[in-house]
Amino acid sequence: MRVLLAEDDPLLGDGLRTGLRQLGFLVDWVRDGMAAESELRAHPYAAAVLDLGLPLKDGMDLLASIRRAGITLPVLVLTARDALPDRIRGLDVGADDYVVKPVDMNELAARLRALVRRAHGQAQDCLTAQDVVLDPAARSVLQAGVPVPLSAREFDLLHTLLLNTGRVLSREQLEQHLYSWGQEVESNAVEVHVHHLRRKLGSALIQTVRGVGYVVTREQPRA
Amino acid sequence: MQRPRSLQGRLLALVLGVVAAVWAVTAALTWLDVRHELDELLDSHLAQAAALLVVQQAGEIEDDAPAINAPSLHRYAPKVAFQVFHEGRLAMRSSNAPAQPMLALTGGAATGLRTVELAGKTWRVFAAHGRERDTQVFVGEQVESRDDILWAVLRSGLTPMLLALPLLALAAWWAVRQGVAPLRALSRTLAQRQPQALQPVAVDGAPAEMAPMVDALNGLFGRIGELMAAERRFTADAAHELRTPIAAIRAQAQVALASADDAERRHALSATLQGCDRATRLVEQLLTLSRLESGSAPALAALDAVAVVRQVVAESAGLALGKRQTLALEAPAAVSVSAEATLLAVLVRNLVDNAIRYSPEGASVSVAMLPTAGGAELTVEDSGPGMSAADIEQLGERFFRVIGSGQSGSGLGWSIARRIASVLGAQVSVSRSASLGGLAVTVRLAQS
Repeated sequence: MRVLLAEDDPLLGDGLRTGLRQLGFLVDWVRDGMAAESELRAHPYAAAVLDLGLPLKDGMDLLASIRRAGITLPVLVLTARDALPDRIRGLDVGADDYVVKPVDMNELAARLRALVRRAHGQAQDCLTAQDVVLDPAARSVLQAGVPVPLSAREFDLLHTLLLNTGRVLSREQLEQHLYSWGQEVESNAVEVHVHHLRRKLGSALIQTVRGVGYVVTREQPRA
Repeated sequence: MQRPRSLQGRLLALVLGVVAAVWAVTAALTWLDVRHELDELLDSHLAQAAALLVVQQAGEIEDDAPAINAPSLHRYAPKVAFQVFHEGRLAMRSSNAPAQPMLALTGGAATGLRTVELAGKTWRVFAAHGRERDTQVFVGEQVESRDDILWAVLRSGLTPMLLALPLLALAAWWAVRQGVAPLRALSRTLAQRQPQALQPVAVDGAPAEMAPMVDALNGLFGRIGELMAAERRFTADAAHELRTPIAAIRAQAQVALASADDAERRHALSATLQGCDRATRLVEQLLTLSRLESGSAPALAALDAVAVVRQVVAESAGLALGKRQTLALEAPAAVSVSAEATLLAVLVRNLVDNAIRYSPEGASVSVAMLPTAGGAELTVEDSGPGMSAADIEQLGERFFRVIGSGQSGSGLGWSIARRIASVLGAQVSVSRSASLGGLAVTVRLAQS
């Protein structure tokens, strides 16, 4: 899951980035509000972690302007300001969650997963399609009750497809979900990962829509 | 502590004192006036009585006739007496008059008014004589009787006044009490106040004289309110400012715990330590600032500023070397300034630390402590990014930090530097460094 981290404090930003990576997130870290806004406009992040006291553009302003621009991704506000009026204003302006520093890394990750899940209209922790169950918190996949070992990229690809069950995602869209900055994208990486997933989970789960992309359907299509 | 005197009591005493004094003066004047009039009247009576006796006696007294003792006709008569002498011999006298002449019969005949002592009493005596000077008439009156009249007149005037005095005191007490009622109301209002209640006081019906006091009080409340708000803001800001390093420490520690990679764990642990150092520095700065703001003015003394600056530069050299920066000090052997050594050191340290922190790796930081015409000038310059005019404006506001500086400062160093400068009576100015291109901070210190 690719998230944007906007935090101007070098030590905290570094810690959050590494911590979230350890928990399976792909993290892009920006240190000011302007950079955060341009990144959010340019890439389809699953969620954003936003510090309010950002340089160049204050977190609240940033939130208001991306909401005006129609960017609906879930935003978790991480801030040192815990006064009730601050929280209320933050939520009103368009934050989906409000967390006061310091925060436990596991809690932050869980909140992010919950935000992403809800943003995709899912109420349960686990994503299910056909006989495959994906647990984002445990980063595990079961097929007919049997664990299937997946690489990190394979897991992220499947996670993205399952979050968008029934929706066709293009190769470019999937790449953007799979790679944070500075990560070299091999030319046919998505095809390779899809190939591996089909080998491990069977060919029925991920369908190819020729010329458009890939889709996971909830029920197995009738042959 | 001396017990304060009651305003009410003082007013009462003053009013009653003035009234009593006015009455006393009035009584004294009345006394003088009445005595004068009384003397005139009674003296004229004496003179007239004497004239009558002289006229009556002319030619009627036998030379050898025995002295006539006139009868006492009224109970007041003893207070008045007369004597008639004919050729030095007593011819006639009132029953209470002595046999000896009331005034010595000197060679010449006596005339006019005298006051004499006779048998232990003071008499007012009028002496007259006949045309041939053989008849000498004395008419006397006891002065005591005049005093009685005088006293009676005064008594009739003063008695009602004395009787009225307690009533007057009561009335004055009531009036004064009414007058100081707004003061009592004010003190009641203040006594019942909660310590946090800082809204202006209003006293109904307060007289104009109380307005300056109430205004001053409300002004004080206002200032205390602002101070408390500033303190609350500061505490809140400080707490928030501490949250970020704590959050960083927590995040990095968690990363270190969860990390399987040795290099990653080492990095996270060293970042954890950095976070601790930062939190410590922040706490120290907060304490310094709070001590500066609550402390009394330090005693300034003549000291060698160069020694202080050299010490600070030596201590900061490690930080500069760590960033491969060049740190240089330009100063003569000694510069005497009027300051306080510890505070001056904190001021210089904050300026030098800021220059080092906010300048990139390999930058130059130069410190100069030079004597000037009116004192001495400390300049800290760097080749860092400098600041925009708008940022310079905001410098010294608590927790203001230049954005995008990539530094984990709190902005408190500036607040401290500025606060110390004002305590030391020094002027701070910030500009662009002409020689290094970054920021130049100049502190003008007073000569000792």
